[in-house]
Amino acid sequence: MKLLHPVTGGALAILFLFPLLWSGYASVRTADGFGLENYARLFTDDSGIRLYHVVNSLTVALLTVGGTLLVATLGGYAFGRFSFPGRDALFLVTLAILMVPYATVLIALYVLLGWIGLEDSLVGLSLVLIMFQLPFAIFMMRNSFAAIPPELEESAQVDGASSVGVLTRVLLPAVRPGLVTVALFAFLSSWSEFFAPLILLNSTDRFTLTLAVVNMRTATFGAIDYAALEAGVTLMALPCLLLFVLLQRSYVRGFMSGALRG
Amino acid sequence: MTSVLSRPAAVVRPTAAGRRNPRRRRHALTGMLYAAPTAFMVGAFFVVPLGLVAYMSLHRWPLLGLPTLNAPANYTGLADDRLLRDAAGFTLTYTVIITVLLFASSLGMALLVQRRRRGTGFLRTVFFLPAAVGFASASLLFLGLLSAEIGPFGGVISVSDSGGTALGAAILLVLWRFAGFNMLILLTGLQAVPTEVYEAARLDGANRWQTFTSITLPLMRSTIALVLTLIVTGSLLAFDQFWILTRGGPDNSTTSLVMVVYRKAFIELDLGSAAAVSVALLAVLVVVSLAQLAVLRTRSAP
Amino acid sequence: MRRWLGAVLTAGLAGCGGGAAVADGPVTVTLWTRAATETVSKAYAAAYNATHEDTVEVTAYPNEEYPAKLASAAGARALPDLFAADVVFAPQYAAQGLWLDITEKFTALPVAGEVAPAHVRNGTWEGRNYAVPHTIDMSVLLYNKNLYRQAGLDPEKPPTSLTEFAAHARTIDKLGGDVNGTYFGGNCGGCNVFTLWPSVWAAGGDIMNDDGTASTIDDPAMAGVFALYRQLYEEGVAAPASKDEAGPTWLGALQSGTIGIAPAPSVWLGIIEEKTDFELGVAPISGLDGGESTFVGGDAIGIGATSAKADAAWDFLSWTLGDEAQVEVVAKGKGVPVRTDLAANRYAAADPRVVTINSLLANGRTPYAKNFNATYNDPQSPWIATFRGALFGDASTALTDGAAALTASLAK
Repeated sequence: MKLLHPVTGGALAILFLFPLLWSGYASVRTADGFGLENYARLFTDDSGIRLYHVVNSLTVALLTVGGTLLVATLGGYAFGRFSFPGRDALFLVTLAILMVPYATVLIALYVLLGWIGLEDSLVGLSLVLIMFQLPFAIFMMRNSFAAIPPELEESAQVDGASSVGVLTRVLLPAVRPGLVTVALFAFLSSWSEFFAPLILLNSTDRFTLTLAVVNMRTATFGAIDYAALEAGVTLMALPCLLLFVLLQRSYVRGFMSGALRG
Repeated sequence: MTSVLSRPAAVVRPTAAGRRNPRRRRHALTGMLYAAPTAFMVGAFFVVPLGLVAYMSLHRWPLLGLPTLNAPANYTGLADDRLLRDAAGFTLTYTVIITVLLFASSLGMALLVQRRRRGTGFLRTVFFLPAAVGFASASLLFLGLLSAEIGPFGGVISVSDSGGTALGAAILLVLWRFAGFNMLILLTGLQAVPTEVYEAARLDGANRWQTFTSITLPLMRSTIALVLTLIVTGSLLAFDQFWILTRGGPDNSTTSLVMVVYRKAFIELDLGSAAAVSVALLAVLVVVSLAQLAVLRTRSAP
Repeated sequence: MRRWLGAVLTAGLAGCGGGAAVADGPVTVTLWTRAATETVSKAYAAAYNATHEDTVEVTAYPNEEYPAKLASAAGARALPDLFAADVVFAPQYAAQGLWLDITEKFTALPVAGEVAPAHVRNGTWEGRNYAVPHTIDMSVLLYNKNLYRQAGLDPEKPPTSLTEFAAHARTIDKLGGDVNGTYFGGNCGGCNVFTLWPSVWAAGGDIMNDDGTASTIDDPAMAGVFALYRQLYEEGVAAPASKDEAGPTWLGALQSGTIGIAPAPSVWLGIIEEKTDFELGVAPISGLDGGESTFVGGDAIGIGATSAKADAAWDFLSWTLGDEAQVEVVAKGKGVPVRTDLAANRYAAADPRVVTINSLLANGRTPYAKNFNATYNDPQSPWIATFRGALFGDASTALTDGAAALTASLAK
């Protein structure tokens, strides 16, 4: 049993790392050795990546992260620490978002964004992405708030703090791991989302990075430029992996070792 | 709290009971106020579009021009749609396979890295790392990985070779991408079991397996319910992995239900039927999820 | 809900009236296209923008997701001012009313009679014109002259019948090594529509009835063509990878220089020669015993039904059909002019192979069917099941079963 752990663990680690490492390797492998040609092609190709794609992706990611945090913090507080009529129903409906085929609801969303004048806009796209984040985010924040010992809140209330004061001064620091997790996932999924921007954005200058990368896949007459594709995949994944590793301390550990255990 | 994922304890202040209690009413009002942004987002961007989808499913819905009521033709027309039947069969098979494999590997991995030892931190990171790659990106990554041109297995594994390898490729992709994520959720459940309980079991002379089946699993039931619901829902709605990797082929052997929805909406331009399939699928998912939760609750009830 | 929707729909419909009321001054016209034809659309737009007050702005979408993009934009009444689409999908979009009726404007053009007739037909629905050709791509036989010489064949004498094509392929295949006689997209609906049907047409057969509502796939000419390709595959003359070729690596296979002769898109002539050092020959696709035909593919373009700038959009469209655009943009970029009278232009004159390609236009065909995409192109289409049965499976039942499935899909 003692031996099993390092062997299985090591083998699994290799299996899990392999695709990522391979993608990085394939993206720098060229016809004659190694180099950044494939990346250069990403940026110089007629339909390749431009700076505004990066700016758009960042804008959408920031709007989505901010919006998700705001809605999910307030919602999680409400679901985790209050009782009010319709609470369970609203919670279940929020979870039901997970159960609808993306393809159909997007047409309806396209129509809807048109009604409120947000068609072809990064804000409209972000609103939709926030909505798709809510099942996970609300769930996470509800549990984070619910896990806080009541004494913590009560002692603040005794001091005469309002619910807003209690939330910002006492509870928010306690749910920090949850907030980091929610923010990270909102970033990861909005950064790499493909289908929603494809359907909801119409102007080239509003396209996101993912759209540009996928566009390259088919640009040259159905022939896939696999090397540039892997360069694109690696480029898209790098900020996510980096952020993930950087934030790891504050959320995977925090997540595991107590803050949520209550 | 026995588990981070169980329903929140009643957090209403234990003041005097009674519906008219002003303090309690204010408490409820404050809660509603905090829930308002969620209610707005869910209402405006989910319930309204969903209503529109349901409304569409009752109509012949041209892309432009006026829709005409034709209920229940969109639903009855689904009965003799062979592609839909095949896709439903495939999606169910896929869901069963993925649920078993993904759940088993996630739980196995969670147990593997459960206790702090040398290297567990590294393993957790490595297992969870694929979750940081977007699903579309991950699918593109595997497309290259399995391609004959640049993939290390070029020519050995071909997704267009047979239905079996195409499905196998998709399963590998999903395991790689999601096992770590589910592992993490299961890990929170595992960690929430108080160590005292284990100690008590050890004193009672329970062996590892007994401890696992009679203590760990029951105490993790709500976490398990959550993970299973996520897996089943995700698999019944599978789209990206097949759309990018296999295009539903070869010979329609990996055509999932959502691909049929997509095809009806965008290739046949039959929005009414596409909406009908979505509504039917949603109904099935709600029933399955509720049943799952109910079974897990009653089975583990003392 | 119903009244609310009604109001929205009426508002949407009111917006369909066309661009008469647009204020004077330069306008920006949006144009959508799929990634495959992006280069041509952008070349048109650049030339137009350089000489006109109005600006045309091109947005390209991934090929596979483009129909979804169009459909959702139409559903939200947010179509662009102009959009191009694979010409075989044109009847469906015309029938759905996604393009504005341009019958009067089009027929008033002095060159209307010279515009690729097969394309124009596909842009009509119930006798009205909705779209005009945007880019043209035809199926031809491309053959490797170097391999022809090595195998002792005369590189200046391409096959004149499908039987001869098979004989040439077998001779080249005997060279051995990596070399294969031929190649085809055995798991790709669009590819086989494009490359196999001309052989049926050349023999006087057909695949569908005239208005595209019933399949005649059980036509003996079709069975003969399938049998020939099946045999080439079974003998190993067609590269084994042909069976799984779903399209993405088709060009790569021909670029490798190891394929003797194969039907392929005409635009690949330039693309292949640009990257390789072998010489290609071009010949028309023939029937089993001779004749010649081609599938006139490419993209058709029309004015989005919800556009408010219809006049400016039409100005661009009529300009693209003119001599200047066709010669100085299309022919100069090694493309096929969409006008039959411009087959022998000054750019084509430099390469007799291009004249061969261009002259096929007048007699080529573009199949017409409202449900073309769902029936033939889509990966889930009954056509793929049918031809895979005929080529690799139970050939005897594939065509009779296929005819029923195809007809059912066409009639939807």
